[in-house]
Amino acid sequence: MRGYLGVDVGSVSTNIVLMDENENVMETLYIRTQGQPITAVQRGLEYIRDRVPAGMEIGGIGTTGSGRHLSGIIVGADSVKNEITAHAVAASKLVPGVQTVLEIGGQDSKIIILRNGVVTDFAMNTVCAAGTGSFLDQQAARLGIPIEDFGEIALKSGTPVRIAGRCSVFAESDMIHKQQMGHNLPDILAGLCEALVRNYLNNVGKGKEILEPVAFQGGVAANVGIKRAFEKALGFEITVPPHFNVMGAVGAAMLAREATRKTGRTRFKGFAITQEKFRAASFECGDCPNLCEVIEISGQDRILARWNDKCGKWSNAEVSGFRRKKIENLA
Amino acid sequence: MPLRIGIPRALLYYYYYPMWKGFFKALGAEVVVSSRTTKDILDKGVKQAVDEACLPVKLFFGHVLDLKDKVDYLFVPRMVSVEHKAYICPKFLGLPDMVRHNIADLPPVIDVTVNMSRNEKNLYRAFAEAGKVLTANPLALRKAYKAGLKEQERFERFNQLGFLPHESIEQMEEGLAARNFSPGQPQNMTIALIGHGYNIFDTYISMNLIGKLRDMGIRVVTADNLTGDIIEERSNELPKRLFWTLGKRMIGSAFHYMRLDSIDGIIHVASFGCGPDSFTGEIIERHLRRRGNLPLLNLTIDEHSGEAGIVTRLEAFVDMIQWRRAAQ
Repeated sequence: MRGYLGVDVGSVSTNIVLMDENENVMETLYIRTQGQPITAVQRGLEYIRDRVPAGMEIGGIGTTGSGRHLSGIIVGADSVKNEITAHAVAASKLVPGVQTVLEIGGQDSKIIILRNGVVTDFAMNTVCAAGTGSFLDQQAARLGIPIEDFGEIALKSGTPVRIAGRCSVFAESDMIHKQQMGHNLPDILAGLCEALVRNYLNNVGKGKEILEPVAFQGGVAANVGIKRAFEKALGFEITVPPHFNVMGAVGAAMLAREATRKTGRTRFKGFAITQEKFRAASFECGDCPNLCEVIEISGQDRILARWNDKCGKWSNAEVSGFRRKKIENLA
Repeated sequence: MPLRIGIPRALLYYYYYPMWKGFFKALGAEVVVSSRTTKDILDKGVKQAVDEACLPVKLFFGHVLDLKDKVDYLFVPRMVSVEHKAYICPKFLGLPDMVRHNIADLPPVIDVTVNMSRNEKNLYRAFAEAGKVLTANPLALRKAYKAGLKEQERFERFNQLGFLPHESIEQMEEGLAARNFSPGQPQNMTIALIGHGYNIFDTYISMNLIGKLRDMGIRVVTADNLTGDIIEERSNELPKRLFWTLGKRMIGSAFHYMRLDSIDGIIHVASFGCGPDSFTGEIIERHLRRRGNLPLLNLTIDEHSGEAGIVTRLEAFVDMIQWRRAAQ
């Protein structure tokens, strides 16, 4: 029996799933990246390793998320895909007939429009991270409530207050103002949920035709307050699929299965990598005025990869074989 | 020693450099272009320029700074209008003044006004004025003007063959074709890139968008590959004629490309803070939706946009096109 691993290294969380040959999700893991993507991946794989059923071998591993290239090098990924594709693949398999995917993560949010099982349009938030998970995290911390309870408290609201949701800086001062006026906590939290949803639909969802069934995924989908605010704004029910918080990883595992079906074997380096020492370092290349900050990943005895140079001088040097493979995966 | 005339590699360089160079060269001057954009040039420009300017204008300042100690004159024409009753962005119009008042110790600036809105003959007048620093001979000026026009025609011919403007310029100077470069080769995917030339052809601020697409095996076409007639005709589909020349190019070319079966998708590149871009993008998107379902990607670039975000969107866009094809 073969199993497939999906690794989604996001800004806030690192998610890993184990999937069997029939695309049944067997194990999921959601941990905080805490600014150390390599350690997070290693810790996560260690956890999964102890839960792989006897007799199952890993047939493929895929990575996605903003740390997909880094983690792809560490684990030896069969597919390295962007998170939009990964989310769309997972949603189209797990939510039958899905036509719209709303995804809100730690630093970014996206909308994916599918018709007849095919992505026809998508959008991501622009430079501003207002209305993503980090902002909710920050506000929950400021109010001293655990983020897990955020949604439940918001549901208790009778009359949500109106909060300016265009910019998180203004939203925060607006919230403080409302709290000093004497509005109660549930009303403020529900107001914040509505502001975030309004901002999302006006920016990310601008001009998009949002049709049912709608899947709401990403870490923020755990927040029932946001879910209800979406339903209120859209006028119909939305679905939070199982494994909503690890959908990117589920998609990555599906894409890895797809990729290895063609090649017949995996590039996975094995669970031994959880014990290996990896080092990520960066240096500024002073050979031209661009002053690129080159990133260098090294394993125990050799350099595994370099990137982030504009001219390709460093990324092509020494590790060229590896680099080429990585590019093939992207195509 | 011939006089050195400096031309910044920014803004309308990507549209008119061959004409300018042809003119000055015919009068015996040496034309010096600033270096390709680097982090250093951009940083200096951002520091020197007024806050309210858009990124490409700030970048122009960086290129002026790069040139100023290397040349005898700086050529910064005041480009008001290049065609009948249509105009270039007002920021371009004030460019010579902004440059002069913000940068100290400049060499003399040649800031002739090009305004062809009412009278196309004004182009010659502008050139004759610009050539004054080199000669007073009217015959030589007329000849140089013709030489400039001829170079511009050659440039446009290369563009229409499928070269992109920065490649056409290279081709004219060094012979790209001799190095086995053929732009029009069929690829399995063709994407129309709609954006201002000074954004999309500057590999630094576009984060090498064109190179990234080509690495994925995609042929890139732009407004520059089309004749002015096509752009004029297609943009006339709007209920009211657009009076911004550059915006009209974007809309006309997008309207043209969205009719072609050979085009797999359109990428619209806007610079953050550009007024016209904010509505050209919107108009293109609405028309595209009305016509059917050609994929469109909107990219906004500014001085702190991360490359990772651009790569993610590009990859997802290309995946989407492939996925849609596989489903057909």
